[in-house]
Amino acid sequence: MRIAIVNLLRRTHRKKTAFEVDEELQFHIEMLERKYAQQGMSDAHAKSAALRRFGNFERVKKQCVDISRRNSLLRRILKISLILIALTGLAIHTLSLDYRVARIGSVLIIIAVSGRLLLYVRGLSPWIFLPGTQTTLSVVSDTPKDAART
Amino acid sequence: MANERTDLMQGTLELLILNTLARESMHGYGIVQRIHDAAEDLLKVEDGSLYPALYRMEERGWIKSEWGVSENNRRAKFYKLTSRGKRKLEAERANWNRISKAITKVLQAT
Repeated sequence: MRIAIVNLLRRTHRKKTAFEVDEELQFHIEMLERKYAQQGMSDAHAKSAALRRFGNFERVKKQCVDISRRNSLLRRILKISLILIALTGLAIHTLSLDYRVARIGSVLIIIAVSGRLLLYVRGLSPWIFLPGTQTTLSVVSDTPKDAART
Repeated sequence: MANERTDLMQGTLELLILNTLARESMHGYGIVQRIHDAAEDLLKVEDGSLYPALYRMEERGWIKSEWGVSENNRRAKFYKLTSRGKRKLEAERANWNRISKAITKVLQAT
């Protein structure tokens, strides 16, 4: 039951994040379209110029959703819980005189470390290893006349 | 006309974003426009790739975002600098000045 609730919350959060990222990026494209239309382009040309200048919409959206997910409240709570479990395990392990109780401490530490590792691996996204996906900022030797002409 | 482009070093875009947000809160489109205008179109930021940078900066606590209303009455996400971001900006500015001074000295010496 609890797992089902956590999954539902996670799915709802991801959908909300994806929706908000989409809205934010669409706003940017619409502003570009508006700018090009004001410069005298037809609607169709303004739209295609805006999309060209923005770059790969789906890839950018996925990157932003992944970063947001990494930073979600649920994730932060999980991280703090894992630290608390590890500290409890460490305290039990070091303070306990009974071998069996000390083993419980060790198990808690293992659970916390494994959980943290799992969170770390899940937080990694393949795109960070792919070439050409880094943020690009460059110096242009000739002043670009217009994005539509390039 | 093919533009010859030279990629700048890692972290430069973050410095420019922090500096742009030091004046006022802005949405992503506004940030790109401000950078282009200030650099008189000599610097090119790929529009889409600005957003992962903004999200990473927010994750690091340098900036924070909130939804607001844009100049054309559209819902838009505005970013503003946090106190950690202000400290980061000062540090990065100092670092940039050191590097640029050092490189200028080397170029003048040869």
